[in-house]
Amino acid sequence: MTHSLLVRPIAKKEWTFTAIIAFFFIVVMPLLNSFGFISDFTINLWGKYLCYAMLAISVDLLWGYTGLLSLGQALFFSLGGYMMGMYLMRMIGDMGQYHKDMPDFLVFLGWEQLPTFWKPFSSFPFAMVMVLVVPGLVAYVFGWLAFRSRVRGVYFSILTQALTYGASLMFFRNDMLMGGNNGFTDFRFILGFDIRSPETKRGLFIVTAMILTVTFVGLRCLTRSRFGLVQQAVRDSENRVLFSGYSSPNFKLFIFVLSSLIGSVGGALYVPQVGIINPSEMTTDNSLEAVVWTAVGGRGTLIGPIVGAVSVNALKSWATRAYPDLWLIILGGMFIIVVLFMPKGIVGIPGMVRDWLAKRKRQKEPMEDAAIKKTEEEAA
Amino acid sequence: MNKAWLHFVLIACVGCLGFARAQDAKSARQIIAEAAVLSDDSDSQVKLVQSLTGLGDPETEPLLLSWKEGGIYLVPGADGKKVAVTLAGDPDAAKKETAIRLDIKEPLKDAAGASVRVSPTSAELAETDSSIRRAMKAVTDLSKLAAPNAKDRLMAISQLGMERDVSKLPILEGRLKVETDGQVKRAVQEAIALTQLRSPDAAVRLLGCKALEEIHPLSAKDALVGIIRDSEKAGDKPLLEAAKKALSAVESHRTVVNFFGTIFRGFSLGSVLLVVAIGLAITFGLMGVINMAHGELIAVGAYTTYVVQCIFAEGLVLSPFGMQMSLPGMNTTGWVYEMYFVIALPMAFIMAALVGLALERGVIRFLYRRPLESLLATWGVSLVLQQIFRLVFGSNNVQVNSPSWLSDNWTINDVIFGWNRVFVIGFAVLIVIGTWALLSKTPLGLLIRAVMQNRNMAACLGVRTERVNMLTFGFGSGLAGLAGAFLSQIGNVGPSLGQSYIVDAFMTVVVGGVGSLIGTVASALGIGVIDQSLQQILGNPVLGKILVLGAIILFLQWRPAGLFATKTRSLES
Repeated sequence: MTHSLLVRPIAKKEWTFTAIIAFFFIVVMPLLNSFGFISDFTINLWGKYLCYAMLAISVDLLWGYTGLLSLGQALFFSLGGYMMGMYLMRMIGDMGQYHKDMPDFLVFLGWEQLPTFWKPFSSFPFAMVMVLVVPGLVAYVFGWLAFRSRVRGVYFSILTQALTYGASLMFFRNDMLMGGNNGFTDFRFILGFDIRSPETKRGLFIVTAMILTVTFVGLRCLTRSRFGLVQQAVRDSENRVLFSGYSSPNFKLFIFVLSSLIGSVGGALYVPQVGIINPSEMTTDNSLEAVVWTAVGGRGTLIGPIVGAVSVNALKSWATRAYPDLWLIILGGMFIIVVLFMPKGIVGIPGMVRDWLAKRKRQKEPMEDAAIKKTEEEAA
Repeated sequence: MNKAWLHFVLIACVGCLGFARAQDAKSARQIIAEAAVLSDDSDSQVKLVQSLTGLGDPETEPLLLSWKEGGIYLVPGADGKKVAVTLAGDPDAAKKETAIRLDIKEPLKDAAGASVRVSPTSAELAETDSSIRRAMKAVTDLSKLAAPNAKDRLMAISQLGMERDVSKLPILEGRLKVETDGQVKRAVQEAIALTQLRSPDAAVRLLGCKALEEIHPLSAKDALVGIIRDSEKAGDKPLLEAAKKALSAVESHRTVVNFFGTIFRGFSLGSVLLVVAIGLAITFGLMGVINMAHGELIAVGAYTTYVVQCIFAEGLVLSPFGMQMSLPGMNTTGWVYEMYFVIALPMAFIMAALVGLALERGVIRFLYRRPLESLLATWGVSLVLQQIFRLVFGSNNVQVNSPSWLSDNWTINDVIFGWNRVFVIGFAVLIVIGTWALLSKTPLGLLIRAVMQNRNMAACLGVRTERVNMLTFGFGSGLAGLAGAFLSQIGNVGPSLGQSYIVDAFMTVVVGGVGSLIGTVASALGIGVIDQSLQQILGNPVLGKILVLGAIILFLQWRPAGLFATKTRSLES
């Protein structure tokens, strides 16, 4: 019973709003694209933004709602991408440079036959299961170790940074048999469709938008549930949660694995749309960039990261063309400003304005009261 | 065939040694002049050239070279006999040059007492044939053996050792008898033993193996493996045994060398980590500020070193943001230029400290209570700084030259100690002692520790915490600058210099135990030695690094607060 007393149920207005936005992305934009009002390039670009939004939402779930700043989200994002990439590499078949039924780089490394762990990736369902299993397992093992020994706050950040760094070093190696430096590219088919055709891109866009919507709604429910409350309590005061009898490490572990899965799915959707995955995606910098999107959009809200990911990347697309030299300065500056002056991000701007107005009103009111008193006194 | 050649050279050598002794008075110049004239008697020419062996005359080599390359001419003298001359290089209108007598280095006079002038195109060249050239080569090779400078001798000997030419054996043996320098002597022994392995005589080969067992040089491995293979084939048991013994001696020596080399490299890497991390141990460990821009402060130090170096040399033109900015250079050379690094060290400290102060005043002071957010804001700062480096210095690496007093090395018993690495170790020790003294022996250190332990209490007691924070952060940043000056001596200086060390630096501080200086020292040295050992064992730097990162994550399971945890009763540490 306490549940319904404490937790604000999700308002009808909000459902409608979500439905309208989702409808726009899932139905309207693809329709406009098929009639030629929106270019294929734009659809592809927005598809990428939506994948980034998945990554940003996963960062927000960890950082905004649980207070865990993970610098390893880019690792999970690219692990998902790699799993999808392995499937796409298998789909190239013998159309590679060497015309053998295995990825070019393996032929180049002198492999006569496909290594065993590559074989099942010819199956799409298997690859999709791996998109969830591999990053989930990495997150589970790392998280179990980290949370068990109560690694908290900045230590957690530093450890995830080391994890990401170590993993990228590993993927840069050729003996990893994951394409080394160059990673995977030159994809051709996905589920039998030509990956470069506008129709496939539109399809991928729709799928991305749908999955993002499902994630958004799911997390909306989760964060409003009793579980979500404990999760936010962990963020605000972990020790009190512990003393109240909750096993906070388990809560954190669950959230950590969940967010790694969301990031990984985002990565898996990202790779067929950009057509390449390599270890340089797997850097702390990329994780931190996703944190910027979240911070700019507004942490601790679910819509914030989506707004942030889309707007910052749109800005990036424009600035890297208009001012290529200054982009990093803009990004860095934006980060400093958001952290210092706009802790609630873009989504928080209306709130900030409201607060400001209310403050002004409060300051004005006593003055008006005094003025009235004064006139009354004068009248008397 | 081989044997015949050997005999010939032996006889020739012995012969000319005698010959040379008989004509002690003659200088190389005179002998060559004499030889050049005898153009129709090749045998005597060869003999004369060979007699140059062992003279140790520094002129021998250049003169022989000039003869070979056609710099010596034969010109008829006053009595009509041909005289070997060189040309003075002062062509007149008819392109004739003064002829200088080779033997006495004076202009050649004709019957009338006037200087003879000849044209290089029409004068007769002193020819050389293949046998003379061969003799020349032998002489130059050997003359290097007798060079007065031990280093030159060493080089010549190791070259001969690598040739492993059995015919040179007697020469090397001759050298061994007269050599006094210990290091060179060892090299001669090594060269002799290595050459003996090639000898057709089994007994000599056996001798070589025994000698190698005794001196066990690292370079002997391949030769010994070859001998083992051959003697197995030929069924030569004693030789096989001896070679195997020698090989095992070499191998065990290699193990020892690698062991000490690894320890040294580990300590030097550890010192680098220490120098990089000690600034962080202050800003992160003591102040609790996560400064992701620490790496860029290191880069500030490195770039400062670069700028100071350029000012000591030709100056530097920078074009940041489309502006032109030129720094004049002092065009120093020699030891003054070499001292640039001494100036660069304090400059690097000051520049990085200033940037750090600006960072603290501008950003970090608002975030002391929000460490995660200080991480984010300083990462933004690091992006901005990196881009500024790119705009100012270009995105390529810049060239920082090590002063010569840092670029040599000592080789002790085959273990190489680079001076820059030794210097880094020494400097790390100095920095640690300095930091420790500052923190525990000065009034400022007392205030720093007070503020870090309990900011509010310190403020209540009248400590100006704001100012102490600022100074502490500035000091930590300055240390990062010093680290940068060092890294410029052992690695590349580029815009992303800081990025390559930041992960390691944070790891070092976390493993050592946040807030503990001694912990940082221990963890830096520990990580350095383990990293290098793993590289040595696995033979792969990247794999070693990955394992170290994994080991650190596991280590923190065991001791979550690091090696030297600060004991506290507070719940939220």
